[in-house]
Amino acid sequence: MSATSTTRAGVTPVAVMRAVLTAPVSLRSRRELLFCASEMPFAFPLPLVVFFVTILLAHLLDPRPNPSGGQVLVAVAGSVLTVVLLPATGAARGLAAICRRLAASLLGELVPAPASPAGRGLSGRIAARLRDRPSWRAAGYLALKFPVSLLAWYAVSFWLMGVMALSYPFWWLSFRNHPPGVHLNTVPVFTPFGWGGRGTFEVATFPGTFAAFAAGAAMLLAAPWVTRVVAAADRWLIQGLLGPGTLRERLRDLEQTRALAVDDSAALLRQVERNLHDGAQIRLATLAMHLGMAREKIAAAGDPAGGPAVDLAAALELVDAAHRGAKHALTELRELARGIHPPVLDNGLAGALATLAAGSAIPATLTADIPRRPTPAIESIAFFCAAELLANAVKHSDASNIQITVTERARTLQLAVADDGAGGADPVGGGLSGLAQRIRTVDGRMDISSPAGGPTLIRVELPLRA
Amino acid sequence: MRVVIAEDAAMMREGLTRLLTDRGHQVCAAVADGEALLEAVAAHRPDAAVVDIRMPPTHTDEGLRAALELKNRYPQTGVLVFSQYIETRYSSQLLRRGASGVGYLLKDRVADVAEFTDALARVAAGGTALDPEVVSQLLTASHRAPGMATLTPREREVLALMAEGRSNAGIAAALVLSTGAVEKHVASIFGKLSLPPSESDNRRVLAVLRYLGS
Repeated sequence: MSATSTTRAGVTPVAVMRAVLTAPVSLRSRRELLFCASEMPFAFPLPLVVFFVTILLAHLLDPRPNPSGGQVLVAVAGSVLTVVLLPATGAARGLAAICRRLAASLLGELVPAPASPAGRGLSGRIAARLRDRPSWRAAGYLALKFPVSLLAWYAVSFWLMGVMALSYPFWWLSFRNHPPGVHLNTVPVFTPFGWGGRGTFEVATFPGTFAAFAAGAAMLLAAPWVTRVVAAADRWLIQGLLGPGTLRERLRDLEQTRALAVDDSAALLRQVERNLHDGAQIRLATLAMHLGMAREKIAAAGDPAGGPAVDLAAALELVDAAHRGAKHALTELRELARGIHPPVLDNGLAGALATLAAGSAIPATLTADIPRRPTPAIESIAFFCAAELLANAVKHSDASNIQITVTERARTLQLAVADDGAGGADPVGGGLSGLAQRIRTVDGRMDISSPAGGPTLIRVELPLRA
Repeated sequence: MRVVIAEDAAMMREGLTRLLTDRGHQVCAAVADGEALLEAVAAHRPDAAVVDIRMPPTHTDEGLRAALELKNRYPQTGVLVFSQYIETRYSSQLLRRGASGVGYLLKDRVADVAEFTDALARVAAGGTALDPEVVSQLLTASHRAPGMATLTPREREVLALMAEGRSNAGIAAALVLSTGAVEKHVASIFGKLSLPPSESDNRRVLAVLRYLGS
């Protein structure tokens, strides 16, 4: 394989070698290992646990060598009930959400959550959940996760046994410095290819430990690829089973997001009208009133029968007020227009974001790498997301540094706003859920990581064209 | 004239207060919502109230509702409703109980101080003041009504000013005509539209508005 691929730029034998050697210590491998470790609890699926616990309880209450038929029946009924309860209580969706979040944070695999089932009252909600296909697919995913989690144990064992075997030469001399003539047992070396009883092979002498070391090194070199395969398998399951899924569900999702888009633009127009009504319009009306009053005073002063210079001073004051009002109205109109569509956005998202970052009250650094320009609607949404997230960070995070990153990856625009502040951003709070809605209207997604105590990382993924 | 103002924009409220005070009127109270307006009118019993349509808490039409309530409780108090938009629906609601002491003006009209205070004085005295915008909307809507086509352009102008609630003297001043000429035009209009002649300005306004389909 490498013989033919040497002609491809960048794939040289040296590069392959380096990749193989650095894989065990790369960030990606560490994250995949963590992900595999997080899968290990799923090797104890709830229905099986319920079955065995029931049998165990029955045995404690009524000790006998073998469980009776009735006891087995009760245990089976218990596990069947668990299978139904998983989707009915929303537990399946809850566990699925945890898995999605783990996949998002550790594997960078952003899978959008399917739309929630709607039902009124307890019985209505349960009925809706039992009819809800994503809930059942989540339950199916949990079932399929069982064999995957066994593989995850196996994958993790590569790392553990590798580290163990690697350590042999280091402690051998301190523990095996026995006086001559004393007979000591050999020490087993475990590998994933023989981990029962006395291990795969046994070591009796110090030079022998180098064989263990070599086996450990081999295991650790192989381990990242094993965990990667297991993580990939789970990733495939998550993509297939935990996303919005079938055409019908996609339709429902589109209906929801279309409603959101319509509501969003109506709300936006209402907001613009309100701002005009309460802002520039009232200022201009007041300005006109001041000018009208000034005009009367000047006319009266010019009239030989009218008042003296006192009225001219009052007129000047009114003209001043009108002048101030005109300047305020201009400012308000300019800000309103900028709020509708920032002109700086016409020159590209990166420039607009640079302006935004430069004006931030908390130091913000921008990293932008957008080789292809997204469509104007996407640029606009990305800009308003960045502006809102930045404003949120400035207002709530108490951070000392904010990072804005915008890049293109796999035909999507990736926007990330990170701060080193107090965390605790509320995903269902008005601002963020409003943003999430706007992002969903173009099939984008938002991922929020903001543990209490910080740091906060909010990632937004948008298609390049809406 | 003793006036109560209800307007939620502080800038406008202060401006109006100053304008009316400057002209020698007394502003008894300047408030920011409908509830406070009713209380202020109960306390001061003014000659007229200037009421913004859109006020807190809902920013829809609470000013209009307060104005109607005001008209119910104190028919003698003139109510000048004041808005940034003209809605014929609002004007017809206002005029449902008669045209006496009712006004509906665009906020822009304050730019012309004399006309504005004149309109307010008319309303306070039990007359009518409808915004030219309302009248032009009504005229547009009723341009196919029988008789309208037979009016001369001058007569249309006179009709519009009548609908705004102006007296013959007011119309004469606005069009730079003699009162006698205006009277002739008015008689001609009533003849062409076959409206019953009426002496009082209020009944004349109502007749014209009814004709225009308000």
